[in-house]
Amino acid sequence: MRVDFFESLYDIATKDDRVILLTSDTGALVLDRFEQDLPEQFINVGIAEANMVGVAAGLAKNGKIVYIYAIIPFVTMRVYEQIRVDVCCDNLPVKAVGVGAGMDYSSLGPTHHALEDIALMRSLPQMTILSPCDNVSASAFARLSYELPGPVYIRCERYAELSVYLDPSEDFTDGLKILRKGTDLCIIATGRMVLTAQRAADELSNRSIEATVIDLYRVKPLNVELLMKAINGLKVVVTLEEHSIIGGIGSAVSEVLAESGQAYRFKRLGLPDKFCRQYGTREYLLTLNNLDVSQVTNTILRMLE
Amino acid sequence: MEESIVNLEKKAKWVRNQVLEMCVGAGAGHIAPAYSCTDILVALYEGGILRVNPHNLTWEDRDRFILSKGQACASLYAVLADMGFLPVSELSSYTRLGSRLGGHSETNVPGVEAFTGSLGHGLALGAGMALAARINRKDYLTVVLLGDGELQEGSNWESAMFASHHHLGNLIAIVDRNGLEALDFTEKVLALDPLIKKWEAFGWEVQTADGHSYDSLLSTLGDIRSRQSGEPLVVIALTTKGKGVSFMENSPIWHFRIPEGDELEQARKELA
Repeated sequence: MRVDFFESLYDIATKDDRVILLTSDTGALVLDRFEQDLPEQFINVGIAEANMVGVAAGLAKNGKIVYIYAIIPFVTMRVYEQIRVDVCCDNLPVKAVGVGAGMDYSSLGPTHHALEDIALMRSLPQMTILSPCDNVSASAFARLSYELPGPVYIRCERYAELSVYLDPSEDFTDGLKILRKGTDLCIIATGRMVLTAQRAADELSNRSIEATVIDLYRVKPLNVELLMKAINGLKVVVTLEEHSIIGGIGSAVSEVLAESGQAYRFKRLGLPDKFCRQYGTREYLLTLNNLDVSQVTNTILRMLE
Repeated sequence: MEESIVNLEKKAKWVRNQVLEMCVGAGAGHIAPAYSCTDILVALYEGGILRVNPHNLTWEDRDRFILSKGQACASLYAVLADMGFLPVSELSSYTRLGSRLGGHSETNVPGVEAFTGSLGHGLALGAGMALAARINRKDYLTVVLLGDGELQEGSNWESAMFASHHHLGNLIAIVDRNGLEALDFTEKVLALDPLIKKWEAFGWEVQTADGHSYDSLLSTLGDIRSRQSGEPLVVIALTTKGKGVSFMENSPIWHFRIPEGDELEQARKELA
């Protein structure tokens, strides 16, 4: 996924020398070509994220469109106040690219997990949050973030699994996409959990329960009107994300539903409000948190009982 | 030269008077921090060091000035008003309902380049602006005024490393070295000395100046545009917090205090 994003960004940067990429010593094979071919547009600023954000803002105030890149906790939480003041207060074109959504860096422990980033970034005025679920959306979000005038946070994975989107020219300007339509419940997912939602919907369908599945790829600003239209009167709504159940898309959607004046059976599926002190594969950690496909399916079945 | 220095001293007195009335009118504000850097600001703007034009705010070749110690914005606003960036009559609206002049510097005020108030941000912003000048092949200078207490923020030293590593000779930092932070003397709270050696060790050219002497400020800052060095320059300006009002000078309690009654009268008398 990361490779798709940066390849797309490389293409943009070769045509627009205003595009600058800063990394705080976070690598990716795909960046080598960027550094080699566009040396004036690439700087490894060292392990100094506070300075990276300020430098990005200073560049952005002088005509540049600046991408800052690091593992999620270091490009969001560590520099939250720099992003708030230097970037958001002046609505500057600085785009934070974080890699390692949720438990992507499973074995590296809590310092490298990303559970709280959506909650934090969502409360920043001016901020747009993009959450790709596959290589097609990641590639598209390089261009989308480039075209948006203000600050953007892109919540990336290292690698994408299967493709959710098959058309490389898919339009991502609406903020969400209805991937399948059902009559019994609505599952709203973001990031890699979109695949889990689709698979759970398949399992539910085998039991004659039909779910609508929505990819909420733009977490902020929410397209509330389209979201309500997509839910289309379904009274059972589940959110699914690899993020803390506090402040993520579960919170965002529940805020909309609570203010809609209608009653829903609603459940947030996500990571619990605690640090994960277990090690292992990402799949293993997700299973520990009841987030694999069969667990999600069973949770929904219990909810429908 | 003598005459122009007398003029600058007059300007500085006018600025200090404005700051006093702004903050007294508002009932809040950082008077002593503003007085500490008043002469530096007057030297930069009124002394013709900075290349700026109040009638062309987006001029690409203008020098960029960042007041990193944003709490001193009252003096910056007064200087900008005197320079014609905003009406002098607007100064009395400082922090009042509907005013665009708040207690920390903001970019909605004409001539203000950066949002500051949270300390430890200005030098990184300045480094980005200086880097942009190099990439865009512009010869403007970026000047960042830092508080000395502010240097306790670690982010400054990230930026100090960055600026020297990238040979940003077009970046000038001025440290308002008044020796005080909000609650006490810097050397008592978290020592900064040996400050000159620190900057040198980070790869900066260091100069010192008397931050209240126009002779000293103008001779130190006068040739910054003709520097050929690839090293960023820091000027440690030795200053007195609260300079201009005797009972405020070098006294920790005046960081965020507004004079009343007899104090106010005396302050007005001393600034007359």
